[in-house]
Amino acid sequence: MNTRLLMTLRVTVAAPQNIAGVPHGTRRTVPITGGDFDGPWLRGSVLPGGSGDWLLLRADGVIELDFRATLRTDDGALISMRSFGLRHGPPEVMEALARGEAVDPAVYYFRTTPRFETAHPAYVFLNHLITVASGDRRAEGPIYTIHELL
Amino acid sequence: MNARPLMRLRLTTDEIGPTPHGRLSIFPITGGSFEGERLRGIVLGGADWVTAAADRTFELDLRLTLETDDSALIYMTFTGVRDDTNHYFRTLPRFETAAPKYAFLNRLLAVGIGEAHRNGPVHTIEEIL
Repeated sequence: MNTRLLMTLRVTVAAPQNIAGVPHGTRRTVPITGGDFDGPWLRGSVLPGGSGDWLLLRADGVIELDFRATLRTDDGALISMRSFGLRHGPPEVMEALARGEAVDPAVYYFRTTPRFETAHPAYVFLNHLITVASGDRRAEGPIYTIHELL
Repeated sequence: MNARPLMRLRLTTDEIGPTPHGRLSIFPITGGSFEGERLRGIVLGGADWVTAAADRTFELDLRLTLETDDSALIYMTFTGVRDDTNHYFRTLPRFETAAPKYAFLNRLLAVGIGEAHRNGPVHTIEEIL
């Protein structure tokens, strides 16, 4: 798998909304309050309102992530981002993360697959990219290192 | 990003053709096979819902059922992009199974590199580590 860095994305999150037991597990919605991103070809900020991560805590201990955010580049383009992801690890690591403790991201699995949509001519290349991201779950919000699949 | 080989998947397809939505074509998957170090078997069936974009790229949306050589059933879905102009054919496979032996598939994300062949596409799929 050949990849190259697309961007590093940092988001800040508000208190999660625990919807609790739903038919397929435990639903938890995490509002995104802001953030920023930068990479070789684009940089900008994350817009609050409509940005969030919809988590499903499955019975097998895996957390499914359904992330949606609107990005605004420093030259004013709006980009819609969506990604499906998975997060899991040893129970004690997942419990430490849930308590907001700093944990080395190498000891748990946190991977996502972002897709992008935009109408801005400078960034239409994003519309057809398949990308993969590794996440680092911090108390203030996750950091994603996103690579383009070449 | 690090990855390791998961499987090579060969599909045979047919075509229903354009639907009333115009840009959507449905390709039934008539069969196929897959093999990797940790699993091998056949494709029982499925389909690919292909949406043509205005810039002549295609968005793929596949659903398949795989059967391993030891009779486990695996539900596989993937989206992807096919851009023949730029020779870019990449996918994001996901798996679900109830078979304990293959439960590792429920916990991984994967990427695929597709190649077009006369009888149908061949996907080389790697697990994202």
